[in-house]
Amino acid sequence: MTGFARSRPGGWLPVAATLSALVVFPLVVDDGSWLNTAVLVLLYAGLAQAWNILGGFAGQISLGNAAFFGIGAYTSTVLLDRWNVSPWLGMPIGAVIAAGFAVAVFFPFFRLGGHYFAIATIALAEILLILFTNWAFVRGARGMTIPFVRGPDRRPTDSWAFLQFNESRVPYYYVVLGLAVLAVAIAIAVERSKLGYYLRAIKNDQQAARSLGVPVLRYKLIAVAISAAVSAVFGTFYAQYLLFIDPETTMRLELSVLIALVAILGGVGTVVGPLLGALVLIPLSEVTRSQLAGSGNTLDLVLYGGLIMLIAVFQPNGLVAVGDRVRRRRRAVRPAGDGAERGDAPLVGAPGAGD
Amino acid sequence: MPALLELHAVSKRFGGLDANRDVSMVVEEHQIVGLIGPNGAGKTTLFNCVSGFFPPTSGTIRFAGREIAGWAPERVLRAGLARTFQVVRTFPEMTVLDNVMIGAFARTNRANEARARATDLLAFTGLAGRARVRGADLTIADKKRLELTRALATQPRLLMLDEVMAGLNPAERAQAVALIRAIRDRGTTVLLVEHVMEVLMPISDHVVVLDSGRKIAEGPPQTVVRDPNVIAAYLGEKYRPRDEGSA
Amino acid sequence: MDGDVLLQAIASGLLIGMVYALISVGLTLIFGLMEIVNFAHGEFLMLAMYAAFFGRSLVGLDPMLSLPATVGLLFLLGVLTYRGIISRILHAPMLAQIFATFGLGLFLRGLAQFFWSPDFRSVEAPFLAGLSGGGVEVGSVSLGVPQSAAALLAGLAFLALYLFIDRSRTGLALQAVAEDRATATLMGINSDRMFALGWGLGAACVGLAGAVLATFYYIYPSVGVVFALIAYITVALGGFGSVPGALVAGLLVGLVEVVSPTLFGFSPAYKYAVVFGFYLAVVLVRPQGLFGRF
Repeated sequence: MTGFARSRPGGWLPVAATLSALVVFPLVVDDGSWLNTAVLVLLYAGLAQAWNILGGFAGQISLGNAAFFGIGAYTSTVLLDRWNVSPWLGMPIGAVIAAGFAVAVFFPFFRLGGHYFAIATIALAEILLILFTNWAFVRGARGMTIPFVRGPDRRPTDSWAFLQFNESRVPYYYVVLGLAVLAVAIAIAVERSKLGYYLRAIKNDQQAARSLGVPVLRYKLIAVAISAAVSAVFGTFYAQYLLFIDPETTMRLELSVLIALVAILGGVGTVVGPLLGALVLIPLSEVTRSQLAGSGNTLDLVLYGGLIMLIAVFQPNGLVAVGDRVRRRRRAVRPAGDGAERGDAPLVGAPGAGD
Repeated sequence: MPALLELHAVSKRFGGLDANRDVSMVVEEHQIVGLIGPNGAGKTTLFNCVSGFFPPTSGTIRFAGREIAGWAPERVLRAGLARTFQVVRTFPEMTVLDNVMIGAFARTNRANEARARATDLLAFTGLAGRARVRGADLTIADKKRLELTRALATQPRLLMLDEVMAGLNPAERAQAVALIRAIRDRGTTVLLVEHVMEVLMPISDHVVVLDSGRKIAEGPPQTVVRDPNVIAAYLGEKYRPRDEGSA
Repeated sequence: MDGDVLLQAIASGLLIGMVYALISVGLTLIFGLMEIVNFAHGEFLMLAMYAAFFGRSLVGLDPMLSLPATVGLLFLLGVLTYRGIISRILHAPMLAQIFATFGLGLFLRGLAQFFWSPDFRSVEAPFLAGLSGGGVEVGSVSLGVPQSAAALLAGLAFLALYLFIDRSRTGLALQAVAEDRATATLMGINSDRMFALGWGLGAACVGLAGAVLATFYYIYPSVGVVFALIAYITVALGGFGSVPGALVAGLLVGLVEVVSPTLFGFSPAYKYAVVFGFYLAVVLVRPQGLFGRF
């Protein structure tokens, strides 16, 4: 499947069109809730892209990626809160800390197979969640509020230097768009490089990969480091976007699962998959929540859960597989068309002649 | 000049079982060496020891003048010793071209270079037409050929092939023999493990025979087939249960 | 530290450990049979607890009296889940299997919240809680009657399960399917029916656990989440697919959870962190869990 759905070079036109649409989006859509949904789509697209590097390319299913997200959110927030360090600086620092943490912790984890690995990642993220919930330094369960940047008139104001926008949410949109583009660029770079090839080999058959000189552990560690760093960057963004973080919102299991789900729904192991997954799942969850949950019930959960179930049953390879099937069908049709062009001129001309 | 590969008194024990006992052998550069023996003789175990998949219990393995016993498989590969698997291990979800590129990446970091090398090799081994097919969709014969191509892409000095002929029909076998000769002619030394003696005789320069984990004979193929120990080992096999496996 | 306090903690830990073992055994049974992890397991538990609750509030039956019905309902739910969902994704990628059951869990949790509200409920005056004033003294250790009964029932369930799997014809057929599906089919065993039975049994075990848990624990739509998490840890700790593993690991998890705060004097807030840490420590030494097969 990866072979077919891999992003093809030369498809620049749709890429350019999508990018321009994304750039003009806030100018066209002047609605707070849609803008918020768009921000979340891009956020989850980035997080799923990060997950995909480890889970999709290398086949190491992590259900604990929220830990990296949380580390990113907390690092920049603590730096800002205690030492007034700009989140722009806190962001890369958080990424480095998350990557270092990931490498140290996953080093032993990578011995574990399949479900044992997945459960270990859950356990890891849960431990982190409990520690943060009870850690006074980060204000435990009460969470941390990011102080407003205030203008000369003491009113909250916009600040690019401190990544905080109180007057309009549009700048946030562009920031997260930039980050999502960065995440996609990283994923494409990984996919096309030796790293991407090695990760896919590891996913396919580790013993065979080793026999061909692939240092399996080293490459898994590189993958988790990248995955963690990218997730942490989005964590910092999220903290600045909400101006409040607590362990529950940044590290809970549901978040880890949702990140994986977005990638899986779209199609694992492809760059397009996580984007597609975010584009479908996040608006769906937002819309069902705003339309149905407003009255205090939870039909959104019912619908959401039901849909996930249906997709898993009827489209187990994700949404990109739908595109693949169409493309394959088209390819299967083509030889006949080629034949007509080459030898059977009368057939091609026939409709015109007959009319 | 020292031999390319030298095994001295290599033993491998699993629990109480001696899979290999005091096996010594040499593989001279630019030769095709056959390693044969009935089922359960310890051929694949020896292969796994040499290629780094498990460390030998005792003994030394010198490759190109370096002691490699106990090295990790990826390190052995980088030293110039590549292997295939008895039960094929194609990367099922990757295309044939991508499969071979994984091998080529052992010697380059650049994708374009790896792709070019892989494409050349696929032409050499006759798989060029299948470059875009998924590994899982190949026939057994093509999978074996792919594994060989993939190993060759790592530019080994010594290529170790584990039962590449098993399961092939006579026509496919003839092709495989021609390919192995061509590989040798390009300057790669080949160590072939086979269960069936006849397959190896026409192409091997030197044959080593294992039985019950020990070396029982070696020499030029014509001499080895007349060795009474070898004949006994193979005749005896007919009366042995077949399900011992050769691991 | 007081010896009596430690003894009390060990006893409580073992009791809750038996419940964990009972919750986990259904999960491990299904995994052992077909290598699928049911991520809706916690919601199965939640539904069983609600069944016990409504048995009391609507029909007036004590959870102990409605227990056979609860177990039966859950068996049915398991079979239906297999027939409706799992049988369609037997050969799908592992990820699709994870998310099919995870989606089912969300779906059930949403339904529960929709129909029954997110309120915390508890079974009114359960028979067990009133028995002997709700507690018994064994030497210096005092044990809750509901907890003790739960542990006792869990023990009986394990015994029954062991006898069934190891002694009955059907149990042997289940084992054959778990061992080698193709060969079992050749022997004339209908593996599809065995899978359905496995899901029924797995759900019935968690149904039993839910019914007894309802006598001493709050009932709310997301109650399954915490227990499911512990069940996953327990199953992995014991070794996926191992029934004795689930029993031993359940007891260990219960002990670690209750005894370690007492023993090392840290806040009970960290108890699950210690449980998860314990899991990681064990599995890093034994990657296949305590009783794992590979």
